[in-house]
Amino acid sequence: MPITSYLALSAILFSLGLYGVLTKRNAVVVLFCIELMLNAANINLVAFSKYGLYANQTGHVFTLFTITVAAAEAAVGIAILIALYRNRNSVKADHYNMMKG
Amino acid sequence: MQINGEFIAFFVLSIFAIGGAVLLMNLVRVVHMALALAFTLLSIAGIYLLLNAEFLAVVQVLIYTGGVSILMLFGIMLTRHRDQEGDSVRPWHNLLSFLGVGSFLGIVIHTIYNAPLTEITAEVGTFSTAWLGEAVFKQYVIPFEAVSVLLLIALVGAVILARKESKP
Amino acid sequence: MIENIWAIPLFPLIAFVLLLAGRNVFQAKTATWVGSLSAFLSFLGSVAALWVQLSEGNHLSLFPWLSFGETTIRFGIELNQLNVLMMILVSLISFLVQVYSHSYMKGDQRVPIFHAYLSLFTFSMLGLVLSPNLLQLYIFWELVGVCSFLLIGYWYFKPEAKRAAQKAFIVTRIGDVGLLIAVILTLLYVGNLELTTIFASLDAGEIPPGMVTLIALLVFVGAVGKSGQFPLHTWLPDAMEGPTPVSALIHAATMVAAGVFLVARMFPLFQSSSVAMDTVAWTGAFTAIFAAGIGLVQYDIKRVLAYSTISQLGYMMFALGAGGYVAGIFHLMTHGVFKALLFLVAGAIIIVFNHEQDLRRMGGLWKTHPTLGWFFVIGCLSIAGIPPFSGFFSKEEVLLAAFADGRMGIFILGIVTAFLTAFYMFRLFFLAFWGKSSIETRGKTVASTMIWPMGVLALLSILAGFVEVPGHHLSFWLREGSDTISGKVGEASIWVAFFSIAVSLAGIILAWAVYANKSIPRDLLQKPFPWLYSFLHRKCYVDEMQRAIVVEPYRMLGFLLSAFDRYIVQGIVHLVAGIPRFAGAIVTRLQNGQAQTYALVSVIGLVLLIIGLTAGRLFG
Repeated sequence: MPITSYLALSAILFSLGLYGVLTKRNAVVVLFCIELMLNAANINLVAFSKYGLYANQTGHVFTLFTITVAAAEAAVGIAILIALYRNRNSVKADHYNMMKG
Repeated sequence: MQINGEFIAFFVLSIFAIGGAVLLMNLVRVVHMALALAFTLLSIAGIYLLLNAEFLAVVQVLIYTGGVSILMLFGIMLTRHRDQEGDSVRPWHNLLSFLGVGSFLGIVIHTIYNAPLTEITAEVGTFSTAWLGEAVFKQYVIPFEAVSVLLLIALVGAVILARKESKP
Repeated sequence: MIENIWAIPLFPLIAFVLLLAGRNVFQAKTATWVGSLSAFLSFLGSVAALWVQLSEGNHLSLFPWLSFGETTIRFGIELNQLNVLMMILVSLISFLVQVYSHSYMKGDQRVPIFHAYLSLFTFSMLGLVLSPNLLQLYIFWELVGVCSFLLIGYWYFKPEAKRAAQKAFIVTRIGDVGLLIAVILTLLYVGNLELTTIFASLDAGEIPPGMVTLIALLVFVGAVGKSGQFPLHTWLPDAMEGPTPVSALIHAATMVAAGVFLVARMFPLFQSSSVAMDTVAWTGAFTAIFAAGIGLVQYDIKRVLAYSTISQLGYMMFALGAGGYVAGIFHLMTHGVFKALLFLVAGAIIIVFNHEQDLRRMGGLWKTHPTLGWFFVIGCLSIAGIPPFSGFFSKEEVLLAAFADGRMGIFILGIVTAFLTAFYMFRLFFLAFWGKSSIETRGKTVASTMIWPMGVLALLSILAGFVEVPGHHLSFWLREGSDTISGKVGEASIWVAFFSIAVSLAGIILAWAVYANKSIPRDLLQKPFPWLYSFLHRKCYVDEMQRAIVVEPYRMLGFLLSAFDRYIVQGIVHLVAGIPRFAGAIVTRLQNGQAQTYALVSVIGLVLLIIGLTAGRLFG
């Protein structure tokens, strides 16, 4: 299999995730989409650890770290979401407009 | 391009992954979305297997399809999980998002297919979980420790954030 | 003692500050006390200064005030004969007027303010006469203008008073501009503004003759504005809208005297230029007869007096223009006294007639108020030039100066004016005191605080002439120590005196015949020459002419400019303001506080950035 196929798959997943982040109104779904984007990036890392001029297993290490960080992010994200929900009684992302000056 | 097992596996897995993602975009109930996401993540674990990253595939299944998805489900249930993704009231926003993301995807795909990428493949036979363990605990021990601290902090932080505020 | 001259103008200034601070606290009576006491102290100081001047001579003290480059402008005070004389005149009349105002302004709401203005006026005028420096003089000159504005517009709720105040301010300002240009030119050519320096450089011939003429003419323009000479006299009759004591002060001692004083003060400058002297003389003579002509047909008692003031100021001007330095100052002094008297009596008459100022509705006052009558007769005889009243001597001097200078045209104009003066003053007298009035005047007494200032002035009107005659004491004193001021002394031709007395008597008799005896019908001249009458009655249409020539074009220009401003300049401004506002409205919609919008903007930005950076390579 050529590496381009993996990269294209990664790009498609990333774009879908990005679109979801931009348009979904439920904040939980936005978190899902962020996870999807992170995973798309991970595919790239793993693909380049198999194919490439200096391909080696180190890419797996980075993927491990990314997964760890993503897990932490998901946990904190959900916690923030719950706190927000308690305050504003809504999970609609477009209701969170406290940044408005 | 010859049709072999790897190709068929990749084809099926990518269809699953993209299909899950598209479902994620289009389903109405949030719980269904969570299931679609889990499906996608599982497919990605399969992709890892194709790329000779068995350990990562297992980790992916454990952490994402297991842990994170459950976490998400908790999040859904703790909030107003019967919420539905209603009709969009922001047509301009959605259209612009579609155009922006679409052009981004177009550029990236164009770049990928025009980039002079080599066909050189690594010695996949040498890939092993043992090597990965050694690398993580010898060469990358400091990032590893840092990440573990980060996880601890995230854990504590998540607990503090999510816990009910005590009344003064 | 002589070092403390500066304190003299300070008394009214202190009074001004006190009255202004206590304007809501002081009773009317207290205010009168403060104002008149300060004026009286100034008067005492002035008399002391006169004594000092007589015994010790002139005095000049200066201190540096402003330095730029090599020029240092020094302020200070100067004491000489002219200054002392003016100081006495100003402070005395101010004192009497303030005492008089107590009764005249009875019942007015803002008496302390009134006295404050009067005090400021006195201060400005005293400062003006003490100035040794053209710039200092100019500052006080403007202060005098401001005070006249404030006092003419004192009854600011009357629209006429408001208009008159504005008119006085603006018309005199035209003259002030002339004076200011003269000050600047002097600084340019002499390098200093001290009068002594200016006169010294005049003597040394350091200023080109053309420039001397120009400066003198510009100074004279200033004097024309302040002293109400033709064609800038129009503000003076309108200034009658102010309270009568103010009119007395303005006409006798302060405002209009400033112009004549300025010409007298700058006399060496004028003497150096025959063109300037001619201009002064002819302007004065024309103003004298012109104003007298208008005065013949006016029916407002104060307006008649105003035109007589203009006419008498014309006398002073042509006396100065004819080289009669002493005559001009002498007439300024006597005129100040008897015109103040006439105005104060007129004020009393107006009070008696319940603030009626129209002469046609007056009459019969001689029977009910003989005291006023006597005072008024003294004033009239004085201004008409009947011996032994003071006006006679000063007018003699004036006519003699013109005659001695060989200006026959001016002399004849002066004689005719004397006749007209006698006629219209006694017309005024007979109209007010003879005949019958529809207004009941019996039982209206004039307060004693009004009577005794008039008494003092009447006494002075009789006596003031004797400082000069016999013996020419005033002439010798005024000339003392100033060799530049030449002039004709003691060349009195006795026939001039008799001739002018005869002319004045003829005027009086004619007035008696027309208005008291009624043996000559009033409209004897009006019938065959109706145009002349209406021409004079409408004040020779000077106001209308000024309006047509100056005011209307400016109004048009102003209208055009305002249209330009409103539609073009403002349009551009609105456009400039509108563009950012429009852009801001768009940007504001982006700034809606939603993270997703921000993320969308950054995605689009990223795409645009990539396209921008790689456009050539991507599709090349």
